[in-house]
Order: sequence, then structure tokens, then C-alpha cells
Amino acid sequence: MHHVAVVRSQVPHGRIVAIDCREALAAAGVAGVFTGRDIGLRPYGRRVRDVPILAVDEVRFVGERVAAVVADSRSAAEKAAATVIVDVEELPPVLDAEQALTPGSPRVHETPWAYPGAVVSEADPHNLQSRVLHGRPDEVERRLAGSRHIVDRVYRFASGHQGYIEPQTCVASVDAEGTVHVWMANKSPYRLRAQLAACLDVPPDRIEIHPVAVGGDFGGKGSPMDAPLCAELARRTGRPVKLVQRYDEDLTSANPRHSGRIRVRIGCDSDGRLTALTADALFDGGAYAGFKPIATVSLHGLVDIGSSYRIPAAAVDVRIAYTNTVPRGHMRAPGAPEAVFAFEAAFDELASEAGLDPAEIRRRNLLRTGEANPWGETWVESRGLETLEAALAAYRPLDVDRGWRHGRGIAVYDRPTSPGKTSLRLLPSAEGVVAEVPMPETGTGAHTVVREGLARELGIEPGLVEVRQVSTAALPHDDGVGGSRVTAALSKAVAEAASAYIDRGSDEAVTVVVEPGGNPPVTAFCVQIAQVAVDPRSGQVRVLEILSAVDVAQVVNPHAHRLQIEGGAAMGYGLACLEDLVMRDGRVWAANLGEFRIPSTVDVPAWRTVLVEGGRGVGALGVKSVGELSNVPTAAAIAGAVADAAGVRARDLPITAEKVYALLRSEEVS
Amino acid sequence: MRLAFLLNGEQFETEAPGSVLLLDLIRGCGLWGTREGCGVGVCGACTVLVDGDPVSSCIYLAGCALGTEVWTVEGVARREPDLVEAFIEHEGLQCGACTPGQLVMAAALRARGKDPGEAATREFLAGNLCRCTGYRSIVESVRATLGS
Repeated sequence: MHHVAVVRSQVPHGRIVAIDCREALAAAGVAGVFTGRDIGLRPYGRRVRDVPILAVDEVRFVGERVAAVVADSRSAAEKAAATVIVDVEELPPVLDAEQALTPGSPRVHETPWAYPGAVVSEADPHNLQSRVLHGRPDEVERRLAGSRHIVDRVYRFASGHQGYIEPQTCVASVDAEGTVHVWMANKSPYRLRAQLAACLDVPPDRIEIHPVAVGGDFGGKGSPMDAPLCAELARRTGRPVKLVQRYDEDLTSANPRHSGRIRVRIGCDSDGRLTALTADALFDGGAYAGFKPIATVSLHGLVDIGSSYRIPAAAVDVRIAYTNTVPRGHMRAPGAPEAVFAFEAAFDELASEAGLDPAEIRRRNLLRTGEANPWGETWVESRGLETLEAALAAYRPLDVDRGWRHGRGIAVYDRPTSPGKTSLRLLPSAEGVVAEVPMPETGTGAHTVVREGLARELGIEPGLVEVRQVSTAALPHDDGVGGSRVTAALSKAVAEAASAYIDRGSDEAVTVVVEPGGNPPVTAFCVQIAQVAVDPRSGQVRVLEILSAVDVAQVVNPHAHRLQIEGGAAMGYGLACLEDLVMRDGRVWAANLGEFRIPSTVDVPAWRTVLVEGGRGVGALGVKSVGELSNVPTAAAIAGAVADAAGVRARDLPITAEKVYALLRSEEVS
Repeated sequence: MRLAFLLNGEQFETEAPGSVLLLDLIRGCGLWGTREGCGVGVCGACTVLVDGDPVSSCIYLAGCALGTEVWTVEGVARREPDLVEAFIEHEGLQCGACTPGQLVMAAALRARGKDPGEAATREFLAGNLCRCTGYRSIVESVRATLGS
């Protein structure tokens, strides 16, 4: 096994004049040094293919791959990489999304519309990655004009890293027949295979993605990342190669969450009933758009904004800009925590204008079963009101220290359950069965769902079911982990496979394919109540408790389900109070997980969870999604609680003591 | 340099450069349970015991372990299997990347005596990051193994 070390750009924007690899090539243990000129421009991506394997002629962010060293040990590769001299002529960078879309700003890419999968045209502002317009803006304006109360505010949020403990990692080799083998911490192997095939220009059946347990994903491990580079290096050196990112590389050059701002305008009548909603969002997409997995190259959380409520007219305008900063990717319910933070904060501010309690205004506006949401979707049931009432019934105010002020905030989110496509193969073993699954275990309990489900369906002990992730050569397509689909998809596959297995007339294996579609339109609500203590002297915020009321149907594994809720809320807490991937001069400032802080045991509040049972789910078992539910409303609930406690509203995440202190002081002055 | 120490209760000797990190040395022996996360002693995934004290093996020179007693997660799990059982029973893990460090910390806390209470347990575990669970189940797993 050979190891790869990467030489990265030290400037946000520049033209590569020369790369001097002579010393690295002569170093002990080095098998090869490669640049973008050697590899050629073969961009990859999840939808838009705009990410070069190694920079060719131009670098577009600090941390971009410029050259790669292959050596017989990691330390030899890293030492040799440090000797590579990259001569760069600096170009003016664009470091701000607003500025990027202004005429005359520096161009991140010469012809962004020319990349395969691009969703922009030459007529668009030059640095646009994507723009999504949705809803009825004219109707919104008409209704806002006739509203009794209106709020018009801008909410901001920082970039953040997914914070998985295992960094990005990839091993690749090419066998004698030319088949590329990849072992990678990646959550969607079949999509990775397709993306690699498109980049390397080889048929998908000449690429095999082997099973690997993934040490945390949260949306950050869905891209090809270093796989195209490793495959090329393996092919060129004739050796298996391994690339494990150092965590500073992962923080500065992977695919963190988008930073941005959302302007929300929202109105209600004199009874506090919502009349119209419009959101104008602008995100910093960084130097490449290739890390966004949906066809619109956008963040789906924005097109669902306000989805839990009855709003007669709604519209959104979502723009993402190229800048000379780290490319942004998806993170757990992409865009939704930000959209819900902005919407729910504006909703609280509207409640205050209308003289209504935050709970009461939500009670009046939550969707009832049968009513369409602002985007025209109707569900088999809408249990938002029951979920809100369950949260309020369970709520118990906590004591705060002398001199501190107590605050309570409420936020609501709902998310549909769509299982997508998967497959499963069931074969007999000596005493039980082996279930071959296409989906990696990222820590969500995916494989436990299969084991326990099959044990129940077949009437055998769970210990007699062996669950085995197999390579992409072994099973039909699977959409991968994501979209809160894992339990829904696998429980469907389990039911179908068990039934086919029982009915089969021989000892043969059975393979089932679960097709998307045919599912009842199901959404799951989550209502959170945050309690905080704020010290008015310092602005310090302590989050005391997050109470999550969750709308559920069948819960397959109560422990794993609860951990999804608690772990999600912990992530929401990090977004609300801690996480800020600060950039200065286009450079990610944090070099380690101490400087980019994610929650620890002593930061997190207490979790309380209330399950609102009796819902209707999808599939034979009847399940509702949970993975991307509880992380979404947390920041909104905490922001509401801080406003309740401090009497000032922080509209900028994360909510730090410094920001609250400044707001309190400016309030005193005015 | 010549390195000799007790590794998981057995005498261990090797030749290694003075710059080698304890993490790389023990992983090089095939003890892959100890993981590198942040690489700078912040996340706790690489925690091992050196003479009973938890250390971040990613920033600990192997030479400093000369003449000591080193326990990795493999040895701890063999020596104290009830710790592993407690993590399984209380679901003190999800993806597992931080789990070896959490288990080693559980052993270190138990060696200090009785349950110091929830707040002190959380303080003790503050250097072991987990992104999956939200920590409640980890703290419960650790405390379940402590005498009251």
C-alpha cells in the first residue's frame, strides 16, 4: 500500500505559473508526483461536474488540491509534499456571496454554464451556481399589502463543518483487468460509482465500491471527494494507494455547510392568521458546486420553508454564489435548520407585533389534516397541532441561577418520508440467514433495522441473522444513506425479502428491489421547546433543556430512534450556539476541532423526548423519518428562548455571549 | 531507539525512530482499535492508558512510554468486558469512531473509584467528542460501570 499526500493552494485565487516537483521526486520512498497538467481536466461532481481532480492552471480556494505525492509511507509522502514549490500569480479573489453576484466582480470560473450538469446560463450573473424560484411572488405581494402585521427581517448563519470524528478517507487500486476498486468512507456507494464512472470515463461495471463502515457522515461523506484522485494515482503508479485527510485538511478543504442569509417577509391578519410568506436566500457556495447532490444544485430546506403552516401565498428565491472559498456541501437536512431558524424567528417577531404568545400563534396556524401546505403538498395526516400540544403539556420550567434570566422558545418542523430505491439479498446460512445489503452503516442503526426486522418476519433469533454490506458488484442500485430514508427503505426491503424467502420453493437466495414511489404521502412533525438561562451582565447563554415532541408511527428500535433525536438536537445546539467555521481572507481559520468547536459532554443541555404515537407511516411496518428531524428546529427554538430571556433578538447564528452582550448594550443605549 | 514497555499486560519490545507517535506504533502492531480523529489531542478518539492515565496517543511520543504500562482499547475490553457490555446495553455508541476512546476513559474513571456523579463524569469525558449521540447514552454507559 502506498500513501498519498496532497499539496494544497495557499491563496484563494491565482494562476499556476509553475510547479517544481524535483526535490519531491528525488525523495526517499516516493513513487510519483502528479499535477493537474499530468491528470488533465476531468471534472467530477455529484450533479454539476465542476471539481478538478487536481487544479489545472488556476487555483480557486485556499486548500484546493494542486499536486499529489505517492510514497511508501504517509510520513515520506507528507515530507516530500512539503518540498513541492508552487509558483502562483495571485488573482483578485471574490470572498463574499453578495459581492460575487455584483457585475464586475472577479470571476471564479470563466464559463460556469459550460460544466456538465450546470443549471445556469451565460445570461445569469457570472458567479451564480444556482437559482431556484418557487411559489407565487405576485400573490404574496398582494396579500402582504393587505396584512394587518408584517415583519421584514434578515437572518444570518455561519458556515460549519459536519464534524464527523473519522476524517475523509479513501483507498483505491486498479486490478489486472483495469477494474477500479475503491474502499471509501462514503454513504452512497452506488452513486459514487456512477460519479466516478462519469469522471474517469469508464463504464460503471469497471468500478467496484467495496463495503466500509463509515465513522460519521451527517451529509459530509456523500461526494466522491478524493476517490477520483486516488483512482488516477493507483492507475498511474500501478499500486494501491491510500489517502487519509489530516483533520486540518478536512476542515479547510472538504465540503462544509453553506453560510448565508435569508430575508423573510411574513404577514398576518388581526387574529394572527398568516397571510403570506416570502423568503429571499443567498448562500455562499464556495469555489465549486459539485458537492450538492440534488438536480437543482440548491438546498431543499429553503423550498420547504414554512411547510408546517397554513399560509395562503408563499414564494422563495434561493441563490447560491461561487466565491473563492472552500466549496460547500450538504449537511443533515440541507438548508432546513437555517430556513426554520429564519422563518420561526420572523414568526416570533410577528407574534410579538400581533400581541400573541409564540405557542398561541403556532396553534392558530399549524396545518390541520387535509389542508395543503404553502407548497401545495397534502399529507395523509398533519399532526403538528397534537405534537405542539404534547410538547406544551410536557414542558416544565427549570430554575435559573440568581441574576440570570429564564427564557422559553418554541419551533416546529416537518419532514416527508420517502424511501427511495434500495435492494436486499437473502440467503441461507448454517443456522439462520445472511442478509446482503447495499447500504453502509454510518452509525444510524441501518443494519440493526435489517437484523431485527428479518428476525421478526422469519420468526428467528436476531443473532441468527447476519447482516453484511456487500460491494456494488453484488446488488442492484441503492440511493445511499440520506434524506432520512434508511429505516423506511430497508424495512420495505426486509418485508419483501422475508415474504419471498418464505415462499421460495428451494434453498436459493432471493434478491428484492424496492422501487421508489407507491408510498402514501407522509410527513413527520417535530416540535421543540428550548429553555435557556441568559446572564444579562455578560450575555452568556446556557441552554438548559431541549424538549423534543416527535410525531411517530411505528418505532423499529426505540434506542436507535431516541439517539437520532438526541444526537440531532445536539447538532442543532451546535449550530445555534457554537459552530462557526470562521474565514479570514478566504481561508478557513480553524486548524483543528479545538478551534472549530462542536458540542462536548459539558456543553450540551439535557434532552427530553416525548413521542406522539399513533401516526401513519410508510412501508409494511409503517415508519416515519427521524434522522433529519430533531436537528432542524433546535436553533430556532434556542433563538426564541434567548429573545424571551434577554428581551433582544439575535438574528445571527451562532448566538454567542459577545453577540448577546452587544445587543443588550445597544438596547440600553437606545 | 529501543522501546520496551508493557502493552496490554504483555512485554513489548521494538526498534523505532525517536519521532514515532504512540498512536502510529500501536496501530502498526495491528491494534487498529485506537483511532486517529483530529490528530492534535482534542477529540479523544485515540485515547490509551499510560500507567493508568488517559493520554492522547496522537500527540504522545512512543519513547515517552518507555518502561510504562500501556493499555489500548483491545486490552481494556479483554480485561474489563463489562465495560463493553455496558456500552452495548445503554447504546453508548452510534458510528463507533469515538467509542474506543470513550471505553478507555470509562476504564480510567472506574480505576479512580466510585461514581463521582453526573456532572463530574461529564467533566471527565469532556475531551472525548462524539458527533452522533448527544452524549446522554455515553454518560449512562460509563456511569453504569461505576460502583456507588
